Amino acid sequence: MSRRNLLAGTVLAGVLAAALGAALPTMPAFAADTVTIGIPVGLSGANSVVAPSVVQSAELAVEEINAKGGILGKTVKLEVADDASGAAGAQKAFDSLIFQKKVDVLISMETSAARNAGLPIVNRGKTPYIYTSFYEGRSCSPYMYVNAWVPDQQVAPIVDYFKDKGAKTYFLIGSDYAFGRGMLAFTKSYIEKIGGKVVGDEYAPMDATDWTAILSKVKAANPDAIITSTAGGAPNVTLTKQLRAAGVKALYGNLAVDEGTAKSMGADAEGIYISGSYFTNIDTPANKAFLAAMDKKFGAGLKTPNDLSVPEYEAVYAYKAAVEKAGTTDAAKVIRALGEVSVEGPRGTITMNKQRHAPLTMYLGQVQADGGVKILSTFKDVDPGEQCPKLK
Amino acid sequence: MIAQALDILTTAAILYAVATGLLLVFGVMKIINFAHGGLMTLGGYAALVTTQLGLNPWLAIPAAALFGAVAGMAIERFVVRPLYARPLDAILATWGLSIVIGQLITIAFGRGVQFAQAPLDGTLDVFGESYSAYRLALVPIALILGAGLTALLQGTRLGLETRAVIMNEDLARGLGINSGLVRFLTFTLGSALAAIAGTLITPLSSVDPGMGVPWLVNAFMLVLVSGASLVSLLVSCLVLGGAQVLVSTHLSPVLGGLTIAVLAAIILRIRPQGFARD
Amino acid sequence: MTESRRLGFILAAALLACAIVAAGPYLLDTYSVNVLTRSLLYAAVALTVDLLWGYLGILTFGQSVFFAIGAYAAGLVFTHLDFSNANAVLALGLGIGAALLTAAIVGWLAFWHGASALYASVITLVLPIVATQLLYSGGTFTGSSSGLSGFTSFDVSMEGWFWIAGFFLVAVTTGAFIFVKSDAGRLLVAVRENEQRCKYLGLDTSRLKIAVYLACAAIGAVAGYLYAGYSMVVAPELAGFVFGTELVIWTALGGRGTLLGPVFGALIVDYESAQLSGDYPFVWQLIIGIVFVLVIVAFPRGLLPMVVALPRRLLARARGPASPAGEMRLVRLDPTLTQGEAPGDGAALAVKDVAKHFGSLSVLSGIDFSARAGELVSLVGPNGAGKTTLMRCIADGSERSAGSIVVNGHDIGRRPPEACVALGVGRKFQMANVFETLTVAQCLQVARVRHARPSFWKRSRTLPLPEAALHVLATTGLDRQLGTPAHLLSHGMKQALELAMVLALEPRVLLLDEPTAGLTKTERMQIGGILTELTRRQGLCILLVEHDLDFVREISSRIIVLHQGRIVLDGSVEEVVNSELVRQVYAGSGHAGIAHSAQPIQTGAPA
Repeated sequence: MSRRNLLAGTVLAGVLAAALGAALPTMPAFAADTVTIGIPVGLSGANSVVAPSVVQSAELAVEEINAKGGILGKTVKLEVADDASGAAGAQKAFDSLIFQKKVDVLISMETSAARNAGLPIVNRGKTPYIYTSFYEGRSCSPYMYVNAWVPDQQVAPIVDYFKDKGAKTYFLIGSDYAFGRGMLAFTKSYIEKIGGKVVGDEYAPMDATDWTAILSKVKAANPDAIITSTAGGAPNVTLTKQLRAAGVKALYGNLAVDEGTAKSMGADAEGIYISGSYFTNIDTPANKAFLAAMDKKFGAGLKTPNDLSVPEYEAVYAYKAAVEKAGTTDAAKVIRALGEVSVEGPRGTITMNKQRHAPLTMYLGQVQADGGVKILSTFKDVDPGEQCPKLK
Repeated sequence: MIAQALDILTTAAILYAVATGLLLVFGVMKIINFAHGGLMTLGGYAALVTTQLGLNPWLAIPAAALFGAVAGMAIERFVVRPLYARPLDAILATWGLSIVIGQLITIAFGRGVQFAQAPLDGTLDVFGESYSAYRLALVPIALILGAGLTALLQGTRLGLETRAVIMNEDLARGLGINSGLVRFLTFTLGSALAAIAGTLITPLSSVDPGMGVPWLVNAFMLVLVSGASLVSLLVSCLVLGGAQVLVSTHLSPVLGGLTIAVLAAIILRIRPQGFARD
Repeated sequence: MTESRRLGFILAAALLACAIVAAGPYLLDTYSVNVLTRSLLYAAVALTVDLLWGYLGILTFGQSVFFAIGAYAAGLVFTHLDFSNANAVLALGLGIGAALLTAAIVGWLAFWHGASALYASVITLVLPIVATQLLYSGGTFTGSSSGLSGFTSFDVSMEGWFWIAGFFLVAVTTGAFIFVKSDAGRLLVAVRENEQRCKYLGLDTSRLKIAVYLACAAIGAVAGYLYAGYSMVVAPELAGFVFGTELVIWTALGGRGTLLGPVFGALIVDYESAQLSGDYPFVWQLIIGIVFVLVIVAFPRGLLPMVVALPRRLLARARGPASPAGEMRLVRLDPTLTQGEAPGDGAALAVKDVAKHFGSLSVLSGIDFSARAGELVSLVGPNGAGKTTLMRCIADGSERSAGSIVVNGHDIGRRPPEACVALGVGRKFQMANVFETLTVAQCLQVARVRHARPSFWKRSRTLPLPEAALHVLATTGLDRQLGTPAHLLSHGMKQALELAMVLALEPRVLLLDEPTAGLTKTERMQIGGILTELTRRQGLCILLVEHDLDFVREISSRIIVLHQGRIVLDGSVEEVVNSELVRQVYAGSGHAGIAHSAQPIQTGAPA
């Protein structure tokens, strides 16, 4: 080995040793006069696009709460951990938050794989957990509450609207993963229930960006409406672009696109129907106040609030309300209280009292030429249906 | 029927454009460049920068070639050159590089999905079938790429020397050919081609730090099946790309996504030289 | 150090490691116990990557799949059939069985006779891609992208799982360590170093690779099973290409071919990434990527050897020069055992109408001759006459394009080289072809594997060799260099070593391709003496390719002249040496006339 190599090797070994040394003494900053909220979130991986907006809204909630005296007089602190948008990363993140940082509650927007990987650790640590991402439904744990939508709440607005527009035949396109399959399975049964006909449903691999074969089938089937539920990011975008390039003119409902992505897609996104529990131009004082506060706190660095970040904001308030109702941060008591308290937030009044899920006000919107979303209609307090019949 | 034929033709064209750079490097250097996916991503971002500067979208192609070539030179000099004798290690090192490229792009441009302007929009009518204009345009583009490379290899002194190195490197060196230089130029050209391919797929796709990676395995399998010949690459793209379209259409797109990799593995098991002649 | 003391040391180290594992939960906080339990199981899989890549030379991206198979076996059984002790056993059996089946299919695809290392890697790359897709497509059965969670598992505490994972890792590492240092384990390195030589020593390398691959698959499946039992969740990313490459990265960083390096590599990197990736997700990836590239390019042996090198060097200085590894004792095999059956009356080697062509280019045609036991037949002819090609056709059934070859009365058919060795063919290559990193004694041991099944845990201290091989060693002085690594030998010594290795096979037909090239006059005479004695005393049939006509004249009993792929002369030494034809052939004149003469001039009386 040459001297230069030896030197480089020593440096390398040194870096590793230093990293090890630096990591070991990190002891939990645990003190009796703080309440710590753990946020496992996909800072890297598939969710990393939306994760910053989620962290921002949690930061705003914490700042507001601390400004008004905290929770039961204790200062609220955030601990963010990267779950790499997957199972292995989530295990590390949950281990770290629950056993090392010893957080009082977990509030997170995560992939289903990450949530599932974290749940056994939550069970071991007996920590309250609020899941704030819309998902395919029917995930149940005695420690978990969900304040975002499930297929039962989201699908009806779009399908009902298409039916009113005269659509009779539908083509469903999804990514081959739990959310894509779960959403479209529900959509299919709903369409058939209201008398529509599904002329095709096709799934592509989760990371697929080539939709050629499926689009040829769509063109051959010539449906009145298309409803898609793909993985977020690239698959969703490529499908939209290729759909437009292929000249498909049918009504297009997208169950997976968010406002920000729609905006960045430009002309290709125009006319897409989307449904959700939050859009930035919901015309309520609570939403306007929230947007103003976000704008003031983050200014140019603001990540547009969306249907994944706003529930995070509201969940922090839900936890505050539950602790105050229980009069303690004791996990068992907080968990009981979480199902009873209501939060007034940008999405309206939300109570997670339906089998650990929440009835939500849903909106149907259409992407406009300027990338904004125009709200076409509002559906009050849509019920999440039977999600966890074994839990109250 | 016509639509399916067009699907096969355009899919083969895309695959051909994506795989040529890898083929060139594999043919001359006998190493698999796993940074190919990373270099494609680089090309995608060249297109993005072109869009952001408000330039003509076609200019993205030379810009990508420049980005790719410069990156390729650096990679050849510092990473690939010490590994000529260790081809399996070269796979690993270039894979590590593609991680590095992906992370650098993430730090510079963010993780988000972005969009480059497409040079062609809309559809064309072909035999009564309206079909994406850009996909159709890829067919002549791929042919031009193939013809240009063939002309380079057949018609120039460098091409002659490159072919000599492909056939028998020791002999070529004995004849006074600077095979080190040939390798360097080949890798540079291969990297430029990878970046160009990255630009070419942006109108069909989004621009994000992982955009090149899904293409890597298919391109890699196509190259292994083709040996070192641009002609057999064309055949493999048509056959395997065609199989992918047919399986996706008639069986399931999920199986379609696996078609190229699985078929190529089986072809190589039965006939180790693949589509290449002996 | 005696063999039992050596094994004792290893077991003592293993017990120490077990003690550290046992103390772990008392010294570490809950968090570290949790994270390390998983890392310990990952490390066991990284160990299998090292066995395959570091020792056997198969770069594999797909070990993640076997981990996932074990994990999913547990996840699926516990989810769909509920947890019970009987089901736990069922799941373990299913996991190992499915992993073995998958490995057998992959092995059949990747390790067939003639598959390149690159092709094998490609197959291991396709494997995780296919596996992940299957898991995604499994719908509610496999849980698709979300995986399976919320199933009941063993009622074991966190500390309990840490101990189970730790003891499992120690057991697997110890077992692997003992194996790779054993006589049988050395074959792995031999295959990595020189697979071709292994085949021509009669080893079925494909079977060896598949066997190791199967064992590694089973280890991976058990690790995955424990993982699912502990974490109570399985997800498709366990089977993925990313996890597969991560395993390779840990192995490369720790040090391939060291066993402990990959184990520590996996533990440290995985534990650290739990710490640092939360704070710097992208930078952490970037650092890992850069360090990985750097290690591959500049320190291919990984970081552990560097860490160990310094203290070892100091230790070596304190201890003085290492004792020469002359512990190996040579033993003479009973000649009645070695050359058991007497040479038969028939031809030892019969070559009938053999032809070889590449496409339209004909290299050999109409080769027809036979040789008896006790004959030393020299093949002469100018460069490109097809001498080496003919040798290759005799030693490998798949080489020739037409004709038949019979060795000791057995048609070799299309048999691969290792099967031809079993029929009694021994081939020495033109360039000295030995195992460069193994010692002289170890090279010879590998050559004896065909006759004596090597131990899976012990190192033999004696080396029984047939007399002929011992004779070569004694004559050349190699018997005093048994502990020298082959790459330090002179060219002539390597030639002699290879000859001894081939003789250790106890062949009936010996193919020697220029055994004296590059040797000194004295060495040449020594070899010549050995060869004539072999034919005379042991009744070997030797086929010799030589350029040195003086040497040929001295030792041959018969000479065959090849020219442009045909036999032009086959006769006694006198006849050939005095032949005008041979002079013309070597002078390069009269080509046309000879090449196209339909009938070779038969002057001798073969067979």
